This record gives sequence, structure tokens and C-alpha cells, in this order.
Amino acid sequence: MNTVIFAATAASSSGSSNPILPATGEIIWSVLSFALLLVVLGKWAYPPVKKMMADRADKIRGDLDAADLARAEAQRTLEEYREQLAQARREATRILDEARQTGEALRADLLAKAEGDAANVRARNEEALRVDRQRVIAELRSEVGSLALELAEKIIDAEVDRAASQALIDAFISEIGATQA
Amino acid sequence: MLLAGINFPPISDVLNWRSILFSGTPFALNKVGLITLAAAVITLLLFFIAGRQARLVPSGVQNFVESIVDFIHNSIVVDVMGPDGLPWAPYLTGLFFFIFISNIFEVIPFIQMPATARMSVPAPLALIVWVTFITVGIKAQGAGHYFKNAVIPPGVPGPLLVLLIPLEILSNFIVRPFALAVRLFGNLLAGHLLLLTFAVISEAMFVKSIGLVVLPLPFAMLTALTGYEIFVSALQAFIFTILSALYISEAMKATH
Repeated sequence: MNTVIFAATAASSSGSSNPILPATGEIIWSVLSFALLLVVLGKWAYPPVKKMMADRADKIRGDLDAADLARAEAQRTLEEYREQLAQARREATRILDEARQTGEALRADLLAKAEGDAANVRARNEEALRVDRQRVIAELRSEVGSLALELAEKIIDAEVDRAASQALIDAFISEIGATQA
Repeated sequence: MLLAGINFPPISDVLNWRSILFSGTPFALNKVGLITLAAAVITLLLFFIAGRQARLVPSGVQNFVESIVDFIHNSIVVDVMGPDGLPWAPYLTGLFFFIFISNIFEVIPFIQMPATARMSVPAPLALIVWVTFITVGIKAQGAGHYFKNAVIPPGVPGPLLVLLIPLEILSNFIVRPFALAVRLFGNLLAGHLLLLTFAVISEAMFVKSIGLVVLPLPFAMLTALTGYEIFVSALQAFIFTILSALYISEAMKATH
């Protein structure tokens, strides 16, 4: 088939046999083909391809911009998180410090109170001791008085006005107390 | 009698093709006509497939088409014409694809004929470009301005103009389209004949077993030249397109 279709012949029906001169039929068909190509290409075939390429370029540009935005956004969020973390850390430190201070204060308070209590107890004890001592002294004084009186009555064997001699006895006791103290 | 085995066909046998349809009329369709039609149809198919795929990540045909479109957009339209040339991108892309596919049939098995090796293809294309850039020039600058700018070089003293104006006319309006057409035609015709020569020699040696000893030489040459011709096909399509872009761009701007 091919050999028949494409068979060459020197006696071509269109044009001369000179290899350089163009043949009419060939010129017409090449011009027609080229015209057809230009019209269809320009009207229908070229624009979609070009549009696709332009769209792709736009999309890539858009994607790059979006990626930049996203990166900036991520950077911002990261900064925010870092800031928050630092803040949280500061807060934690503050709370810890506060707790420590509170603990310290509490301890000091308790210590002070305990010391106060201890002092109170000691004071009360001392007071009780002092009262006891005075009571003992007083008792002792009256005991010694009466003993001395009895002794004196017995020794001097005289009748002594008890009331009048009381002053004498008190003076005597005080004298003793003063010398003893 | 090695050479006796080589039957080099008459040159018109490998260039003038019998018509298949409409014989005898001006619309006689032959192999060259079919190839140009195929160039148009293949280009359109490639673009329709690429446009239909329209994937974000291109592959296959879409990738191929897009790389060429991108190449023409950047290396030809923007580099040569600047942003003003962008409306011309489809025209130049069409030109490139049409010439490249017409060329590349030079190495496609069983077809092996570059349509551009016939003057019938480069000549009309050059003519179309010629008409295009003149029209653009007249539209952009007005007929008077355009032709004045195109033929009178700036800063040249009066007497010399007598000499220069004919030269400028010759170079800008006659040599340009002629060179465009002949450059493409000559390159592809030469390539076609080169490939043919080595193919014929290889075949003759293969048939005559005595030549088998030297067969690798012409066959290696044939292989290397096939690769070279693929390169030439792309290069010539590129040169034609970039020169067209340059001429149109020149016509658009009042350079002087």
C-alpha cells in the first residue's frame, strides 16, 4: 500500500521534474495545512494548554505564598507557646516562692506561739511556786510564832497577854525574816 | 565491480511524488501534501491531548507539548520580541511545530521524506512570514513610516543613502524571505540526499555479499547522520521561527 501511495515517479503529473521547483499541488496543500493549523491552534488548541500552564504557575505562586503564610503563622504560634511556657514557668516559680514564704511564716508563727506557750507555762509554774512558797512561809511564820509563844510561855512561865504579845512576836518574826532573806 | 551494485536513483525520483488524489488538477495531493497535512493534524492532536489532560503535574504528551510551548514562549517570544510579542506566541508555536514535524518525517521509517525538502513548503511559509511582518509594520507604524524606517538607516549622510537605500530594500524585503526559504529547503534537501546516499550504499553492500566487509562504514554513517538530521530538523525549525519572531518584532517597533 505504502509503496503504491508513495511511489515516486519522474513523470509527476503536478509540476516539472526539476527537484528545486515547487509543485502547485504541494504549495496548495502545504498552505492549506498551515492555515488550518494556525486557525485551529490559535482558536481552540493553544489557549487551553497556555491556560493550564498559567494556572499552574498561579497555583505554584499561590502555594508558595500560602506556605510562607503558614510558616509565619507557625512561627508566631511557636513564639506564643514559648511565651506562654516562660510565663507558666515564672508563675510556677512565683507560686513556689510564695509557698516557701508562707511555710516559713507559718513555721515562725508556730515557733513564736510555742515559745509564748512555753513562757506562759513557765510563768504560771513560777507563779504557783511563788504562791506556794509564800503560803509555806506564812504558815511557817505562824507556826514558828505559836511555837515560840508556847516556848516563851513555858520558859518564862508567866501570863502574857496574847494580844499584846502578838506585836512582839510579829516584830520578832520580821526580824528573823529580815535576817533570813 | 562493487559500484555496479549501487543503483543510485535519479534525484527527481526521490523528490517528485506521484499524486494520489485529484491528479491533474491544481489540488493534486501527493506525499508532500500528505506530510504537511499530517504535520498540521499531529500538531493539533498533540495540543488537544495536552489540553484535554490538563493535569497539574504534566506527563507524557502534555509534558512534551508544554516544554516546547514554554521554550518558544521564553526563548523566542520573550527573549526576542519582549512582552509586546506575546500575542504572537500561538502563531510562532504553530510555525515551529509545523516546520519541525514536516522536517522530522525525514527520519520516520517508511516515510523518510521531509516535506520541507520541496520548495513547495518553505517558500509559501517564508512568503507568509514576509506578508506578516510587512503587515505588522504597516499596522504598527503606518505605511509611510514603516517603509521609511525600514529602508533608511539612521545617521547616514545623504550621498551614501543613494547606495544604502537599494541595499536595505534588497536585504529587508527580498533577501529575508528568500534566505528563510532557501535555508530551510537547502538544509533538509541536503539531509535527505545524504541519508539516501548512505542508505543506498548500505543496501548495495548488503545485497552484494562481497561488500559486507565495508558495510559497517556506510551503515554507521547512516546511523550517525540520522541522529544528526533529527538535530537539524529541530534546529532549522527553531531558526525559522526565531527569525520570523525577529522580523515581526522589528516591524512592530520604530527602531529608528
